[in-house]
Amino acid sequence: MPPLLQLSGVTKSFGAVRALKGVSFSLAAGEVHALLGENGAGKSTLIKVITGAHQPDSGTIAVDGETTGKLTPSTARTRGIAAIYQQPALFPDLTVAENIGLGLEKPSPFRPVRWAERRAHARELLQRVGANIDPETEVRNLSMPEQQLVEIARSLGAGARILIMDEPTASLTQKEVQLLLKLVRDLREQGVGIIYISHRLEEIFEVADRVTVLRDGESVGTKSAKEIDEPGLIRMMVGREVSSIYPPSESQPGKPVLRLENVGCSSSGVRGVSFEVRAGEVFGLSGLVGAGRTELARILFGITPADSGKILLKGDSIEIHSPRQAVESGIAYVPEDRRRHGVVLEMPIASNITMAIHPSFFPGSWLRFGKERELAEKYISDLQIKTPSSEAPGGSLSGGNQQKVALSRWLATHPKVLILDEPTQGVDVGAKSEIHKIIRKLAAEGLAVIMISSDLPEVLGMSDRIGVMRGGTLTRILDGPTADAHSVMSAALGQDEAGGIAA
Amino acid sequence: MTNPIANSATFKTTPKWKKAFFSFEALLVVVLVVEIIIFNSTGTNFTTRDNLFEILRFSVVLGLLALVMTPVILTGGIDLSVGSLLGLSAIVFGKLWRDAGMDPWLAAICTLVFGAVAGGLNAVLITRLRLPPLIVTLGSFSLFRGLAEALTRGVDNVTGFPESFLFLGQGYLFGVIPAQLPIFILVAVGVWLLVHQTTFGRSFRAIGFSPEGARYAGIPVERRVAFVYILSGFMAALAALVYVAHYGQAKADAGSGYELLAITAVVLGGTSIFGGIGSVHGTLLGLAVLAVLRRGLTLSDQPAELGSILTGGLLLAVLAGEVLLKKFSSRRARVKTNAQVSQITPTT
Repeated sequence: MPPLLQLSGVTKSFGAVRALKGVSFSLAAGEVHALLGENGAGKSTLIKVITGAHQPDSGTIAVDGETTGKLTPSTARTRGIAAIYQQPALFPDLTVAENIGLGLEKPSPFRPVRWAERRAHARELLQRVGANIDPETEVRNLSMPEQQLVEIARSLGAGARILIMDEPTASLTQKEVQLLLKLVRDLREQGVGIIYISHRLEEIFEVADRVTVLRDGESVGTKSAKEIDEPGLIRMMVGREVSSIYPPSESQPGKPVLRLENVGCSSSGVRGVSFEVRAGEVFGLSGLVGAGRTELARILFGITPADSGKILLKGDSIEIHSPRQAVESGIAYVPEDRRRHGVVLEMPIASNITMAIHPSFFPGSWLRFGKERELAEKYISDLQIKTPSSEAPGGSLSGGNQQKVALSRWLATHPKVLILDEPTQGVDVGAKSEIHKIIRKLAAEGLAVIMISSDLPEVLGMSDRIGVMRGGTLTRILDGPTADAHSVMSAALGQDEAGGIAA
Repeated sequence: MTNPIANSATFKTTPKWKKAFFSFEALLVVVLVVEIIIFNSTGTNFTTRDNLFEILRFSVVLGLLALVMTPVILTGGIDLSVGSLLGLSAIVFGKLWRDAGMDPWLAAICTLVFGAVAGGLNAVLITRLRLPPLIVTLGSFSLFRGLAEALTRGVDNVTGFPESFLFLGQGYLFGVIPAQLPIFILVAVGVWLLVHQTTFGRSFRAIGFSPEGARYAGIPVERRVAFVYILSGFMAALAALVYVAHYGQAKADAGSGYELLAITAVVLGGTSIFGGIGSVHGTLLGLAVLAVLRRGLTLSDQPAELGSILTGGLLLAVLAGEVLLKKFSSRRARVKTNAQVSQITPTT
């Protein structure tokens, strides 16, 4: 019997980035197949290829042994492929029955809605997933796991036989996770094939039949869940040497510049974070997506101010309630979302570079265009920003050069602490190593650098010390030179060296 | 000057003369010249000095509102309440002078403070409660006009202002220059400097393009936004004083519909309703096009309804022309930018 789903040699590139390099993957009916990999390993791209959101550049996809042509989201649906994401995508103001009905009933302009039928159908589907939910409830009144159940019910109603669950348990409590895992097992009994993505290894060992690990867009291997253990999986996920492309650390860390004591912010889910960053040090911040790293940076930059704990700058306790105050205190933040937050794309490079130093650079608020252009040209040549003019709009530059503009803006503030959030994400290889050199140089000049990165080799290659976050708090601090991919990944996944659960 | 590693293949700068020729302002100047030629042949005494000053006098009240509407729209906002606030300020001024017995100049100062406070109400609702400017000022649009009508019960007109005050709207400096003209020029220069030469103007644009981006750059977004609405309220009160001095009476329906005319002038002048893009000189050109059209129709003995039809038609035609002009002049540049943008889209 052919497998339910078979992918062979699927490749997919975005510009120069090769997200999938010939991935093969199979899923049998009544199987739970876990998909694992670091951030950026290609999991999301693979899912988007299966659900028809992206078309692969090459390779084939077969359902029930029959090769599909070009998959689109709607043809994928008719072939029984459905995906459930971490964030449910339901209409919050409609009832459960309406949400299910909208997804399943054939739309037709003159057909009246048969409300009783719609409700009955919804109730039946909800029973199938074991959900005790009134179809008349508005979705906004449901909890996150209840909404997921509604989505699963709707997928089943649409005849889904291939169900992709992308980190379905990321925002669930332990008890809710157990209920969901029970449902996964029930669905498997009903012959549904499930692709299960999660960073929680213990869940994978609980439900998965087979595990496939992706790394850098390639499939590292597929194992039966019975024949592999947690350390083995982590080895598969990271299994590579950190190349020596990273510039060596030359700095001698000096006095502590920034000190956090039990810092937390309840609205962004960060709690009890304590660490210290010294002058001349690159402090890497690692962890999985959603571990609270960007949230921590937003606290330090005053976007979501801390509501507990103490922040000390050079020994003095400071309050940061707005980005303005952060800038005035000497804290700079190069944000993760460069195009939305890092640069104003429509404005010239020069305006972007001076944007954070208006009060000091333009005394009396009067713009001084000549002085501004000089400063911009200094950074353009210092950081080797590739642009014909300091008046070119930020949006006309490539990702790496935009990032250098964002960096220039913050260097111009002469900060004491520089927070970099995914400084090389979406940046080509050449610009990436230039940015690494700049970071090194800044640290050597005595700046305290906090570098958030999901790129494990980058964290290992650049950091003097590595803080690992998990579940909104800093769980471990590792020494940069001695840390390896395995120890960082173990800490990020909540496994300590001995295989138990870390605090 | 030029950067040695510049990659000249990715970005071509257009020669300055070419830019000026194809610019939006040039299009407006053409429209203005055409208007003058037409009205010169149809109307009596159109191209005379007296008529020029008459047009200016007519445009001052509207112009004050349009000038300050420019920074408001640059931040991506809008202020629909200025016309109503003009009416309410006129009544406040009249009542302070007549019923409270204030000196007219003291009353004028109090009115300006009142206008700023009323603008502050918009500012608080927009920045503190984060309500959309369109809705907030739609509310205060009704509120201010309603208050003006309630204060006068809809019938009470304040008249009989002293000559010294009326000079502001009716008198002539040196026998020829309308007295309100210096005020207008002062405000125009002030707003131009604010928008084009200070960090405030820079912040307005940044906020208009990307409020989040501006916040992440440490710009005090709330304070800047609050400032433009307070300034807008202040200017509505100033316009009210000029209005009262010009017509010699303060009544509740003063300035009704002016908010939409002011927005028309701003948008006609090339300011993007989405914020970020625009200029004060553009607004002045838009205002001139609008004022010449209205005055020209009056002198040509055309019915007033034609004014609305032509204003609307002109606005739509100029906006369509702007889009076509942009397509024509920057198609190649845009194709290149898009190609670069798509290359750096992050994956997975």
